[in-house]
Amino acid sequence: MIAPRHGLLLVTPLALTLIGFFLIPVLLLLPTSFREYAPGQGFTPGVWTLENYIRIVTDGFYLEVIARTLLLGLLVTLACLLLGYPLAYLIARGPARWRTALILAVTFPMLLNLVVRSFGWIALLTSRGLVNNLLVQLGLISAPLKLMYNLTGLMIGLTHIYLPFMVFMLVAAIRNVPREVEAAAATLGSSRLHVFTAVTLPLSAPGVLSGSILVFVLTISALVTPRMLGGPTYKVMATVIYDEYMQLLDWASGSALSFTLAAMAIGVIWASSRLTKRWAGMT
Amino acid sequence: MRARDHDGAPRPLTVAVALTVIVFLQIPVLVVVLAAFSETSYLTLPPQGLTLNWFAKVLSDPTYLSAIRMSLILAVSSTAISLVIGVAASYALFRKAVPGAEAIVAALMSPLALPAVVIGVALLQYYSLTGLRGSLAGLVMAHVVITSPYVVRSAFASLAGVDVATEEAARVLGATGLEAFRLVTLPLIAPGMAAGALFSFITSFDNVPVTIFLINAQQTTLPVLIFSSVEMGVDPGVAAVSTLLILATGLGLLAAERLVGFHRFV
Repeated sequence: MIAPRHGLLLVTPLALTLIGFFLIPVLLLLPTSFREYAPGQGFTPGVWTLENYIRIVTDGFYLEVIARTLLLGLLVTLACLLLGYPLAYLIARGPARWRTALILAVTFPMLLNLVVRSFGWIALLTSRGLVNNLLVQLGLISAPLKLMYNLTGLMIGLTHIYLPFMVFMLVAAIRNVPREVEAAAATLGSSRLHVFTAVTLPLSAPGVLSGSILVFVLTISALVTPRMLGGPTYKVMATVIYDEYMQLLDWASGSALSFTLAAMAIGVIWASSRLTKRWAGMT
Repeated sequence: MRARDHDGAPRPLTVAVALTVIVFLQIPVLVVVLAAFSETSYLTLPPQGLTLNWFAKVLSDPTYLSAIRMSLILAVSSTAISLVIGVAASYALFRKAVPGAEAIVAALMSPLALPAVVIGVALLQYYSLTGLRGSLAGLVMAHVVITSPYVVRSAFASLAGVDVATEEAARVLGATGLEAFRLVTLPLIAPGMAAGALFSFITSFDNVPVTIFLINAQQTTLPVLIFSSVEMGVDPGVAAVSTLLILATGLGLLAAERLVGFHRFV
């Protein structure tokens, strides 16, 4: 047993660190988002406004960036599911002697520096990159395809970055599916496909959901890969925040967009935990 | 007959797709490594000629060397701080020595829920107000914020594998609370905490979205340096330093696998 007095003493350093260097800084961002910013002059003294938020929901530029960010989140999540499920299935159900090698092959790119991985994709996807050179040499295309600075490039890069997270969530989920239920369905005459769609997939649904939420939230929050593969022109929410803080110096708009992005991420996490609880209640 | 052949084992098509995905995961890594050994100043496949020049160039470039040093200092110090305060807090919370332990744990995890870029801009403003902007201390504390949730998570996973009775036995035999923790519990959670420390180190070493808002012009970190060099254009020097990182990551992963059987944590 630890005395409550000692318990408090043990928790305090970490708690104070997070209050001082996380909670207070984030809360202090809130008043900034209601300030009025004039280029070259900074905040207008004494003026508080909703303008920064109104612009986010009415201005065509912001709406396009938000729509693009959400679309990217959906597409990357879907791609990670489609590519990740077979691999997770092989890890969970395949030959035991392959397992360690497969897990290491998925872990390695996951641990590798994000900037390095994005750099690799730049080398592959630029107009004179390896993919285009190869396709031209093979005579499949005459002019280079545009694989970067657009949705295609961001999708490929982000799918590669977040796929390992999805795979590990799915491995855990598939392992939890009882084999006996599958065998029973098969005994009762179900085809392999039907066993999969009627038993395996629904029983691994909670893992599919939590993997999807994780990948979606990471994708809409991503800054580095979208910046490197999207360049300064093809923007998502995180890169707009970066520009507003570092280039335009419009911290008011930047913090309003930061709260919008944070609200979207937290909203998705909250909604999914509600859904998971409801599912748990049903069974 | 169908019933008998259903063993849930993956079919050849599934295996083929899965192995293709494994290849997809390694492709950018291979490309970077090959580019680093190429004689040309632009990237081609197959690489034209073979040279170690780019490595020599990078390893004699003071900008890269100081960035590597900065990244190591940051990762080591923030991981050390996270480990000490993270394990202390987790120990008390896991044993429910504090009222409202569950709510506190959820709060300690909250830096993971917020987009990193938001933490970055929040600290940028805060450090500008408090004069910590551009300071090493400010940067270290920012990294403690982003690494501590991983330390807490692995501490909880490790503590779950410890039988409270072993520690109680030590207490009965006359050990103080601190002695019992140091001599009994700590050795038991050490392998799990090593994995947690490795993950914390990598999280700190890799970080761009928080760090980029807080560094000053003199002390950049390696990933931020690569990030900004790529904006100027792709050159094999970047590939060479990236290859060094790939090598370090690979060795780290193999060491972790040897030490604690990393794959069991998945």
